[in-house]
Amino acid sequence: MSAVLRSAAAPRKPATPTGARRYSLATPFTFLAVLAIVAITVVPLLFVIEGGFRSTAQINSSPVGLPHPWVWSNYTTVLFSSAFWQFLGNSTLIAVVATGLAVGLGSMAAFALSRYEFKGREALFTVFIVGLLFPIGVASLPLYLPLQRIGLLDNQFGVAIPEAAFSLSITIVILRPFMRAVPGEIEDAAVVDGATRLRFFVRILLPLSRPALVTVAILAFVMSWNNYLLAYIVFTTPSHFTLPLGVATFQTQYSQDTARIFAFTALSMVPALGFFVLAERRIVAGLTGSLKG
Amino acid sequence: MRSIRTSAALAVAATAALTVAACGSSSSGAGSGGASNSGSSVTLTWWNNATTNPLKGVWQQVAASYHTAHPHVTLQIDPIQNEQFTTKIPLALQSSNPPDLYQQWGGGQEATQVKSGKVMNITKLVAPWIGQLGSAAEGWQVNGQQYGIPYDLHMVGFWYRKDLFAKAGITSPPTTLAELNSDVTKLKAAHIVPIAVGSKDRWPDAFWWEYFALRECSTDTLKAAMKAINVSNPCFLKAGNDLKAFMATHPFQSGFLGTASQQGAGSSAGMVANGKAAMELQGDWEPGVMAPLSTDKTLNSKLGWFPFPAVTGGAGAPTTLLGGGDGFSCTTGATDACAEFLKYIDSPSVQKKLVGAGVGLPANPSAAPALTDDTLRQILSYSHASPYIQNYFDIAFPTNVGQAVDNAVANFFAGQGSPETIIQTVNQAASTS
Amino acid sequence: MVSSTDPPVAMAVARASSTAVAAGARPPQAPPLRRPRGLRRKLELTLLLGPALALFVGFVLAPIGIAIYYSLYNWSGFGPLSDFVGVHNYKLALSDPVFRSAIAHNLTLAALSVIIQLPISIGLAMLLNRRTRGRSLLRLIVFAPYVLSEATTAVIWSLMLQPGGFVDQFLKAAGLGGLVHLWLADPNIVLYTLFIVITWKYVGFGIILLLAGLQGIPAELHEAAALDGASWWQTTRRIVLPLLGPTIRIWAFLAIIGSLQLFDVVWIMTGGGPANASVTMATYLINRGFQSYEFGYASAIAVILFIICFVFSLAYQRFALRRDTRGALTRAVG
Repeated sequence: MSAVLRSAAAPRKPATPTGARRYSLATPFTFLAVLAIVAITVVPLLFVIEGGFRSTAQINSSPVGLPHPWVWSNYTTVLFSSAFWQFLGNSTLIAVVATGLAVGLGSMAAFALSRYEFKGREALFTVFIVGLLFPIGVASLPLYLPLQRIGLLDNQFGVAIPEAAFSLSITIVILRPFMRAVPGEIEDAAVVDGATRLRFFVRILLPLSRPALVTVAILAFVMSWNNYLLAYIVFTTPSHFTLPLGVATFQTQYSQDTARIFAFTALSMVPALGFFVLAERRIVAGLTGSLKG
Repeated sequence: MRSIRTSAALAVAATAALTVAACGSSSSGAGSGGASNSGSSVTLTWWNNATTNPLKGVWQQVAASYHTAHPHVTLQIDPIQNEQFTTKIPLALQSSNPPDLYQQWGGGQEATQVKSGKVMNITKLVAPWIGQLGSAAEGWQVNGQQYGIPYDLHMVGFWYRKDLFAKAGITSPPTTLAELNSDVTKLKAAHIVPIAVGSKDRWPDAFWWEYFALRECSTDTLKAAMKAINVSNPCFLKAGNDLKAFMATHPFQSGFLGTASQQGAGSSAGMVANGKAAMELQGDWEPGVMAPLSTDKTLNSKLGWFPFPAVTGGAGAPTTLLGGGDGFSCTTGATDACAEFLKYIDSPSVQKKLVGAGVGLPANPSAAPALTDDTLRQILSYSHASPYIQNYFDIAFPTNVGQAVDNAVANFFAGQGSPETIIQTVNQAASTS
Repeated sequence: MVSSTDPPVAMAVARASSTAVAAGARPPQAPPLRRPRGLRRKLELTLLLGPALALFVGFVLAPIGIAIYYSLYNWSGFGPLSDFVGVHNYKLALSDPVFRSAIAHNLTLAALSVIIQLPISIGLAMLLNRRTRGRSLLRLIVFAPYVLSEATTAVIWSLMLQPGGFVDQFLKAAGLGGLVHLWLADPNIVLYTLFIVITWKYVGFGIILLLAGLQGIPAELHEAAALDGASWWQTTRRIVLPLLGPTIRIWAFLAIIGSLQLFDVVWIMTGGGPANASVTMATYLINRGFQSYEFGYASAIAVILFIICFVFSLAYQRFALRRDTRGALTRAVG
């Protein structure tokens, strides 16, 4: 869809023969720069992964070094501990609920804010932006009492629902220009053919907005996955903890077992990274459309 | 489109399932106390800080054996990370169902909590047996009324490495400040870090200032200061100047501002455990913290303890100790069964078990013979001989003042402010509490 | 139920798309169709906006309101709110040297983000925009730190930055032993150490954003410039950067807001220390609220933080973002 929009917007020029190198940066420079980027990004991650294969005594005696001998028990203990999988399950459940709510409700609101004219529309949009300005961690304290009154404390929903609310802002901010950019003709045509505006929304606009929807879903998911302070305040029972809480818990609880902390940290990175691998292409495509608008 | 549908369906299903679960659960959530007062079954929710063994196992045993003896009382334990208590307790006491039984460190902190109106006044309930604990129980009183009880006690003193002292040519631990200073010099000459301090956590810094205050201020002055929440007495300024002079000798490890006190081999505890520093001013819990930080199996035999040295010209009794302890409080929603359980925790049998788990010094003196570690016995007998045990200031004072003490001294350690600043900051915090 | 494969709808989509393409640059100005006004439309709007608004008011606006309410009291968090002090907490906060230095730290970090992270992100994005082998893998690697939780990041870097830890040993091995510092213990550099950790974490996000923007620049423009003999720098300065403008402005907005609200990484790595050398507004309010039990004061700080972000965002929208959103739709819809 974005291709259609782009070609509709930009005047066409005769194509130049392909294969012409546009700018020459000396290749060794590029290579070195890339190597540096990869090293700086990846080395800390490798440090943690590798640390999990050592014993705490090894780490204490020589902070930097290769495992000697390789210790498997840290990883296996974490993998076979019910705590890790509980944390993982909790994080997943909360993230899915928060994302679903944020994207579902956010897309509806973005549709209304982008393609309807009504008094106070811009003011309402500004109100939604407010959610970007108040960090969710800071809101944790004032959220506590309302959550307690509704009975959502120590409950996954007590975390998922506020997260969804806070993700609404970035969802609407990204979706609105994207939805706006869909030409009115398509909507007109749909209406002419008998579809209501809501049907247009569900059947045409949403599919067309898929890259942007995936983008906001990923952002909402990541924000929920990594949330720390709200979960810290809401959860008391350790079996309800999410992964970020789990990491901090391990650090104090097994403060003497540095190697196990490494193993747990490394393993808790895997779901997040795996999720990103699956979604990587979508993000770029999704952001392309929204930023043009 | 499909992805939206799936996640929407998932969300709906999850909502339904969890709503049913959440509405259905009653006793599985934390803080669901408040059972009826009749002889029928009572479940007490219990928040303690034993997230690891051996103490975790000991509490579970205690709960199980109590249940066997009193079948209508069930204890449901929720271990909470020690650091989380400062966050969880005020929130829980605001809510309509706080835990029935929770970790309590006493002092002004307890007094602050009592303001919530949700902490149970157990004076009458514990009157028959509280005398067994001696003066220690006073630390858990507010305005003469008992709102909690201790289950163990802690004292702060110097832990030192006998082998490193020997290496530096120090034959016996110092008893005066002058001796301590000369020992620091000897250790430096032997290229050993004299003293490790976990300044990142702030409260280890505060120990230093507080101990100098204990040496400069008379017992009456200290008691008055705690009561009035005011440190204007000139002895506190003297203490600050003592600290300043002491720090001018650079007795601490390099980079001490970023050193944690108990976590990892790089912490101050880890440094002593691995022989990288010779001394640390800490509580009696240190050997337990140090043991896992080192692979040295003979560590315990290398550790010794000596009290904070005397300071010439100081108005304080040179054997005054800084200390505290752990305890529990009941909340008003709990039944009398809670106070009954507290009695059980302080009974000699349970106290002996706790001692055996290395929890520290027993609150009930009758369990003293169960202490096997010589050093702990040394500390315990020292504490019995001491004329006065001052609670750590950040517990003795109301919480915001206590935190101000920790912050002010930590800032001082970082080179900010002067001995006067510490006093001003603390008094200012007190004026708003 | 109408589905997208229904003949009428499908035809409509096909017709509209082809019309748009065939028309070239500008779609024809058709007279606006009559839209159902009145009750039906109001119902639609309620259905679309209602749930989101309800969620938002209940869980975002309400806490802000509650924070404002708490901020008017002197309250330890225990017992009822009884000590009304009005704006006293605000006056106290604005004259509090620690809070002021917190604001200074946040602003420093915000400025550093724009000055340092932006050029790095643009440069790296341009580098990654080229058709090098393994481009997808590179993007994954660069974005990975963003996906990690702040807690994980803080744990990893705390361990690496310990005295004698990984970073120190690496510098020594690289012959740069003179650069070794007390990364987290020296009050003079701890804030900058944290900035480096934050950059590590978030530069990937900026790169992805800028990559998207770069790909929105038509290839023809590059080629035309090359044909006209423009050098790389001229092309970049006169074509790429201006066209990247909207993206850069959005990135800057998010980066500055993020710097103002910074919490997790700082809290776990230094707690705001040593001696408040790395304190941020958010860590300070958590410290005064949950550690010192001064919830009224902490709430006042939270409200001030919110006002700062709000004012900044209004100003930014008005001055920086205005031209990016003007005229986005080709014609009005009802």
